[in-house]
Amino acid sequence: MSGDPNVPAWSEQFTAEAIRQLTSSGPLAGLTPAWAWGGSTGKGVRVAVVDSGVEYDHPALDDCVRGGVVVEYDEGAENYFRIEPEEKPFDSAGHGTACAGIIHALAPQAEIYSVRVLGKDMHGRAVQFAGGLDWATEHDMQVINLSLSTAKEEYFGLFHDLADQAYFKNVNLVSAVNNIPAPSYPSLYSSVISVAAHFGHDPFEYYYNPAPPVEFGAPGIDVQVAWNNKQYVISTGNSFAAPHIAGIVTLIRGKHPELTPFQVKTVLLACATNMRRE
Amino acid sequence: MPTAQGPEEKLSEQLQRLLAAIEASGRAVSAKPKDALLQSIVDAAGAIFGAAAASILLVNEQENVLEFKVSFGASDHDLVGTKFPLDKGIAGYVVMTGQPLAISNVRQDTRFNQDFARSTGYVPTSILATPLLAGERVIGVMEVLDKLAASSFNLQDMNLLGIFANQAALAIERSQQMEQLQDTLVLGLKRLASADPEQPLTELMEALGKESGNSSELVELADAFNEISALGEPERRACYQVLKTFAEYRRSIRRMRA
Repeated sequence: MSGDPNVPAWSEQFTAEAIRQLTSSGPLAGLTPAWAWGGSTGKGVRVAVVDSGVEYDHPALDDCVRGGVVVEYDEGAENYFRIEPEEKPFDSAGHGTACAGIIHALAPQAEIYSVRVLGKDMHGRAVQFAGGLDWATEHDMQVINLSLSTAKEEYFGLFHDLADQAYFKNVNLVSAVNNIPAPSYPSLYSSVISVAAHFGHDPFEYYYNPAPPVEFGAPGIDVQVAWNNKQYVISTGNSFAAPHIAGIVTLIRGKHPELTPFQVKTVLLACATNMRRE
Repeated sequence: MPTAQGPEEKLSEQLQRLLAAIEASGRAVSAKPKDALLQSIVDAAGAIFGAAAASILLVNEQENVLEFKVSFGASDHDLVGTKFPLDKGIAGYVVMTGQPLAISNVRQDTRFNQDFARSTGYVPTSILATPLLAGERVIGVMEVLDKLAASSFNLQDMNLLGIFANQAALAIERSQQMEQLQDTLVLGLKRLASADPEQPLTELMEALGKESGNSSELVELADAFNEISALGEPERRACYQVLKTFAEYRRSIRRMRA
């Protein structure tokens, strides 16, 4: 990676100078934002936020949190983790609440589930993350927001399997790429919708990058977000770009429940801000 | 104590005295420069950002806590040594995810009126935290609080702090390696001092193998290299070439993945 040192890793494709104009034609040019998500509220769509938890009673969430689980590292358990339900989820950092708030603002009638995977133990981190992703896939979520990733090479295969499992179960994984230039799984797999931050603030302004691995750019710089303890903060990171796309995916799936993950990606591409329709 | 000492006993006694001195001076000299280097990195970061405070926290994997190592800023000196759990707060989040994070304009929803963070003392209005990385491993976090000239930290700040964090991570890694090397050396000499004079090296190898974790692998590697070297110059060169090629291969894989 090289280029402008003032732009975080992976976001350089989404600076004003770097964004490329794309063209779609034929029937694909008929896919417009109005068709894709116009009038949708994400009603009935189940969205999991795999993160630090979600503060269920944060006023920004208007009681959209339907429940959740906590995934704990447990050396004695099968697969080294155990999952417990959390009816009234909380957030250990604030980050998951921020992601949930962004999704809720875009898709106010979506049902949000908290999957808390960040615990007390460094060793179990990737295992907890994988366990949470597996749980969400197996519990009828349609959209899973992953504003976290692992750089550990030994987990490449496991996360690849989980991403495939989600894809074949009709689940859209929306994943933030790491803010620093390092491998970041599962965001770099092709079945996943990977997202980095751009400078804009309009939540419906997003760009497609024709030179992946990072495919989409959405607002993630100085974004006002909900935080734990009923707070709001201004925050920056690719972590906040991913839920913008997750919110739009939720709207699309709410309006077009018949679509599969790859069709959703096609619709996203067709409706990107840098797409000209002929 | 025997009245007449053989040359071995004398040597052993001298070595032991020497070791006590090395250990004592090692504690005195090696602890300080390490912290001094980190302190200077934190001071420089604090000054360049124009931040009210800056600190470096290190992960303690045994206790699953983060510990304040050094800090810059008027009210923060008593923070050094303070520990808190990895699953709490922004520094904990950055360590657990390996992602840098900037937040600012912290304010509570006006519909609520709790005493939340005020009870914990200093409440920053802006914070920028970035992981200290040793390869894939997160060994700590570096954070700066409250930029004085601006209300928030921007992207340039995030990248700049990343550069400081790299410096700090390298310094920490290097000093941990030095500490390990010193421990190994002292341990080896210690065993040598009390060893059977006829088989001092066997004892040394055993001592290293048993008691010093990672360094025993290094000793084994060195031992293997030594053994091959003893066969002759061409063998030594071939062995070196193989290791170098393997290292280059691993580096290229990392570059490709990055």
